[in-house]
Amino acid sequence: MTVGSGSRAGNGLVLPRRTLLKSGAALGLSGLVSAPFINRLMAQESHPLAGQKIEMNILGIAGWLPSSLGVQMSPLFAEFAKEKYGYDVSFGFAEAPFSDLFQKAATSLATRSQEYNIIISDSQWLGALARPGWILQLDDIIAKNPNLQLEWYSQTVVDTYMTYPDNSGNRWGLPQEGDTIALFVRKDLLENEEEKSAFQAKYNIPLPQTFEDFEKLTMEDFEKVAEFFTRPDQQLWGTASQYSRVYDFCTCFLYPYMWSQGGEIWNPETGQVEGILNSDINATAMDQYKGLLKYQPQGALNYGIAEIIDVFTQGKVFSAFQWAAVGLGMITDANRDQVMVVPPPMHGKGADAKRVYSMGGQPWVLNAFNDETKMRVAIDFLNWWYLPETTLEFAKRGGNPTDKATLSNPDFDNINPWNRAYKYMLEPGRSRDFWHHPRYSEMLAVQQEGFTSFMTGTTASARQALDYIACQQQQILYDDGSAAERPSDACSAVSL
Amino acid sequence: MSSRLMPGVLDNRRFLVFALLVPVLAFFVVFNTIPTLWLLGLSFHKFSLISGMPPEFFGLRNFEDIYYNKNGIWGDLGRTFLFVGVGVTVQTVLGVLLGFLFWGSKDMPGRRIALTLLFTPMVLTPVATGTFFRFIYDPTFGVLNALLTGGLGMGVVDFLGNPKIAYWAVLAVDCWMWTPFMTLMTLAALGSVPKAELEAAEIDRLSWPKRISLVIWHHGKFILMLGILLRTIDAFKTLDLIIPMTKGGPGQTTRLVAVELNKQSFESFNMGWSSAYSVLLLLISIAMTSIFIYILNRRRRAR
Repeated sequence: MTVGSGSRAGNGLVLPRRTLLKSGAALGLSGLVSAPFINRLMAQESHPLAGQKIEMNILGIAGWLPSSLGVQMSPLFAEFAKEKYGYDVSFGFAEAPFSDLFQKAATSLATRSQEYNIIISDSQWLGALARPGWILQLDDIIAKNPNLQLEWYSQTVVDTYMTYPDNSGNRWGLPQEGDTIALFVRKDLLENEEEKSAFQAKYNIPLPQTFEDFEKLTMEDFEKVAEFFTRPDQQLWGTASQYSRVYDFCTCFLYPYMWSQGGEIWNPETGQVEGILNSDINATAMDQYKGLLKYQPQGALNYGIAEIIDVFTQGKVFSAFQWAAVGLGMITDANRDQVMVVPPPMHGKGADAKRVYSMGGQPWVLNAFNDETKMRVAIDFLNWWYLPETTLEFAKRGGNPTDKATLSNPDFDNINPWNRAYKYMLEPGRSRDFWHHPRYSEMLAVQQEGFTSFMTGTTASARQALDYIACQQQQILYDDGSAAERPSDACSAVSL
Repeated sequence: MSSRLMPGVLDNRRFLVFALLVPVLAFFVVFNTIPTLWLLGLSFHKFSLISGMPPEFFGLRNFEDIYYNKNGIWGDLGRTFLFVGVGVTVQTVLGVLLGFLFWGSKDMPGRRIALTLLFTPMVLTPVATGTFFRFIYDPTFGVLNALLTGGLGMGVVDFLGNPKIAYWAVLAVDCWMWTPFMTLMTLAALGSVPKAELEAAEIDRLSWPKRISLVIWHHGKFILMLGILLRTIDAFKTLDLIIPMTKGGPGQTTRLVAVELNKQSFESFNMGWSSAYSVLLLLISIAMTSIFIYILNRRRRAR
């Protein structure tokens, strides 16, 4: 039946063929145009917050590049959340320096405030934040979110950034940034033929050249290299390390001397410090670390992270012990071709020589007082943070991921100059963290005072400083109920 | 009826005074009296902000710990008294000399600019000043060492790292910062001296020492003593200058009472012990203020 224009057949609507063809074409075109949108709609998960606008706040560490990377990348999550979950999220940021961040977080959390929804904590604060119930235990959340059940690069990652109390298996944090100590060296000086010959002639050993050479280097030989490049008349010194009293600066760079030679700092099971920290091994380690000052610029006693960046980037030192996480600060456009990042030296001799350095880095923790909406967004954020494309992007921007998949990527070592050394030091046994105890800050303050007192010569002997620290920490842990033993009678006569 | 009452009430001077005082009193009670009482109560408790436990009554244990030199606080007090004594003395002497210099050179060209420059350190934030001086003192990059080594041919001095020098290096910065305050107080004190009496002293050909003791000191002593009192209390609380420079180090050499109190309360969150320590410091401050007021009022009482 041919239908004439405008005619009707019975009660049915009759359309002319041309109109039908036009309509069909228009429908097809509109379908093509809207296909991505429909795809997107199809891709969106049914999410309870879809259509809502949510404002989140992150508390991070001021002046700390990895922390700021987490913050800088949050707009990417906002896009992701809009696309995948259909809600709008914006982020506000607050920050404080390392030494003050815990204070800022604690005073807010103590009032049960949700001022900061997500916090970049330091690993040692897990206990202090977890015990009063300020942060959320993540075990259930990890169990319900397959994206958070990652295979981490080593058990060190789990022990450092996630677990409190030690070995309990209770997880309170997830790694935001992994970090280890690395040795930044001036490749241009090492490769200089005259320097090579002069070093060989003076010490009868070759000047280390490659990553593998430094992998085998002991502290004894490294000191020869440091001595060789110590030339105050040329405003050049052999090395730089951290001795500052601020936060944990001196502690983190002195501990490797203790741990690598078999020293211990406490018994986490019994809370015993006295008799463990103030050992002969640790006293010797302190003397050795103080001895390294010979090869450093005057003023090294006040060196922290920023000062090391200054002296290294301005060419005042041949090498620097520094956190891998500040690689972007240590390696600038001006010195990019002159720097090599290698494992820090081993301690000891022959087959017994080993390296056990301090862990750095920070976990994400979630405010336990977040309301349901903010908690949901925070969990979505963590799910996004550990997506393979996010961790890769994080690495490309200079961050240090901790998951096995990213670190095992064959390209990972070449993304940043420090990646290989970072990964090497993250291997089990090469780095470790200390105290996740709630009285961490108190123990640290006493320790920093004691260590720096000895380093500056205010306290004459390492043993005296260690006795003072051990007695004070024993008292802190005893008062806390974590140590069975109170400080011995000998402690009454101990002072700095 | 109310319109009739209001003028009557407002005419009542006692009520008016009370009504005007209420906001200030309320502010004082809420932000001063209650926290002070709270502090006093907490000083008898064991309480850590990070323990998750409520305060536990501790009796006099916190004060006992202080008596038995817990955390080496008697050493801190000794260093603080020395800091206050030497610092305020130097600042007063220099401030008075500079005050007389500017008072006697009213027609000097550029006097206003010189005064403005002189007062600049006083208006800077102590944290910023401390940070500046940390860089100025730096042995590797610092301008002071560059001058010492390059200009004077001396060796490098580690001002903030050497335990024998650090204390005095910090004190010098405090003097740099606060001498202008004493200059300002001296100028205010000199400004309060009646011109007629100064002219009379000049006509009577009184010697300068006599003019100072009989005329200037007589009129200006209250303002000058007030300046010394303010500086003493302020120096006793010095914290923000030291934190960026040495954080109390090397060792404990620049650890003043406020540095340790800050550490115990806001790094260790040991609130019970910190409260007891604060009570002690409050009592010391009250004692110092009382001594100053006694000295100021001594002559008046003698009359």
